[in-house]
Amino acid sequence: MVIPALAALLCLAGPPAAADRAKDPPPMDFVLPEPGTYALQHIMRAPDGPVLTVDGQLANLSRFTRERITLLGFIYTSCTNPQGCPLAYRVFDRLKDEIRATPALKDQVQLVTLSFDPARDTPSVMKRYAGSQLEDEGGLRWFFLTAPSAHELLPLVEGFGQDVQYATDTSTGRPVRQLSHVLKVFLIDRAGDVREIYTSTFLHPRAIIGDIETLLME
Amino acid sequence: MNRIGSKSMASLPVAFAIATLLVASAARGDETCNSPYMAKLIKGQEDYVYVWTLGVEGLGDGSDKLVTVDVDPKSKSYGKVIGQVSVGTRGEAHHMGFTDDRRRIWGGGLSGSDIYVFDIATDPAQPKLIKTIKDLAVKTGFIGPHTYYALPGRMLVQTLSNEKDKGGVTGMALYNNEGEFIARYAMPTDDGGDGYGYDLAVNPTRNVLLTSSFTGYANYMRPLGELIKDEAAMKRFGHTMVAWDLKAMKPKTVMQVPGAPLEIRWSLNPGDDWAVTAAALTSKLWLVRPDASGGWQAKEVATIGDPAKIPLPVDISIRRDGKGLWVNTFMDGMTRYFDLTNPQAPKQTYEKHTGTQVNMISQSWDGTRVYITSSLLANWDKAGADNEQFLRGFRWDGKELRPAFEVDFTKEKLGRAHHMKLGSKVLRTAYVAPAPPAARAAR
Repeated sequence: MVIPALAALLCLAGPPAAADRAKDPPPMDFVLPEPGTYALQHIMRAPDGPVLTVDGQLANLSRFTRERITLLGFIYTSCTNPQGCPLAYRVFDRLKDEIRATPALKDQVQLVTLSFDPARDTPSVMKRYAGSQLEDEGGLRWFFLTAPSAHELLPLVEGFGQDVQYATDTSTGRPVRQLSHVLKVFLIDRAGDVREIYTSTFLHPRAIIGDIETLLME
Repeated sequence: MNRIGSKSMASLPVAFAIATLLVASAARGDETCNSPYMAKLIKGQEDYVYVWTLGVEGLGDGSDKLVTVDVDPKSKSYGKVIGQVSVGTRGEAHHMGFTDDRRRIWGGGLSGSDIYVFDIATDPAQPKLIKTIKDLAVKTGFIGPHTYYALPGRMLVQTLSNEKDKGGVTGMALYNNEGEFIARYAMPTDDGGDGYGYDLAVNPTRNVLLTSSFTGYANYMRPLGELIKDEAAMKRFGHTMVAWDLKAMKPKTVMQVPGAPLEIRWSLNPGDDWAVTAAALTSKLWLVRPDASGGWQAKEVATIGDPAKIPLPVDISIRRDGKGLWVNTFMDGMTRYFDLTNPQAPKQTYEKHTGTQVNMISQSWDGTRVYITSSLLANWDKAGADNEQFLRGFRWDGKELRPAFEVDFTKEKLGRAHHMKLGSKVLRTAYVAPAPPAARAAR
């Protein structure tokens, strides 16, 4: 178990150093269907609830998940597993570059990184974590958000179906003060419906871009 | 361990404040045979086996039920039934599946179209029925929900039949995890497709969904002895597997696999890109793998028992490294082990008579514990003394299956033991919290 002090140091480090160690998802040994030749189903409505911006402003999450196509991922700044939050950060970072380089996309897409850990990930911590990603270059927005409290975060976590569980000390069989979750990234259309959910096995920027283009053709 | 009971959030600020959060990437397989999107593998000792059980008239309440059996050898109730939740009706309970977050089990019956959703995260030892989905037939025209396969945030349900003629032409239904209908997909009837369905299994790294084919309500609800004498009816069994473009959910390749190919198991060994299935009526193992043109092909690779005696291979269970396969054959009550080191030429290396009739077989992640149940279908199970109904646990040391425990489902007034899933007491959700201090003090 990583002690809280170490975790606190990690969260002061800004953008996740572990992103550099994140392994890419397994290679795509297949040809993706062409954008627009397939349907992305309406899986569910994206839940809404209060969040805090990096400047501490209170707003509803829907303010950051409507009008544009949104990619939303949950993180916590102390996460060090390279295949977890750092992977999501790295994929978002790559997407940012690809989207900014594609005129048809750059004003159509926004990225949202929402913390699981409101007690530790305060707006100022999220601001440090975001670093230069907050700068609105080329029309792409990347929002870094946290919740006012765990109480207010819970409906969002539940609504997205982003499960969190206690880890267990296998030597004693007792739960320990760690939480775990499975990496998921949500693609939300302009009307606020979740249209795709990516896990680490399908978190390929090319696949995500294809899905965004498919939504834009609707 | 703290009892994590209701959806109170009292402890969440504390939990989050002290959380050193671990992220588990989506694993490539469950305890060897579930969806690759399923989280929370049980890689150590499982605590429970959930058994989806067909009700029997006059036995207990006569209803289908989810039975929890304690399988922790260190427990005082090892090998005993510790919970059961009845759905209050009898509808040919058959298969079930976890949602991707492993918080719920979906199970259904083949004689209708209802789907039951059980919460297993609040108290893994005592599942609770929280919802019955009743719109499958209305939304799709399909009946007989069979396979429940977790996709991220949703469940893909393979059905066996249709409401119109109760034949084998059927399809798949997609629901979100809350049980809201999303879409239907018909099994292909062109390009060699027979339109039939049975199992489905995904390989995300190849963007492929494989489906297999069985038969419709009109056949699977008939007494087996009567059915096999009906030459015309015996022609109405599936003979295809289909490789679908998973992203597009469109059929890509229809493969001819005669004799009702049933359960599909992808090799979980990283880098492998093949799957196996067993054809029930021809008693053959088939290998499915990519062909040179980017499509998929199926090839017969082994014989199971003596096909002339119709041993009827039913369930199969693959080792986590893809190097071995258990095969249960219903009619002769045999459990066989095939060496899959060369998947193009599986070799049987072991067999044991494990019951008068055997159907499902599941193994722990490490392969040392093997569980077997007895029931196939209410009207296909044997009669009289041969109608054993059980969950049997075994230890496997690589050479011999040794009995560990048995639950007699007739003696316990439970019913016909069918599909199994493994459970663990540590898989409680962290969304819910311990009782507040005042309530704890009052205990």
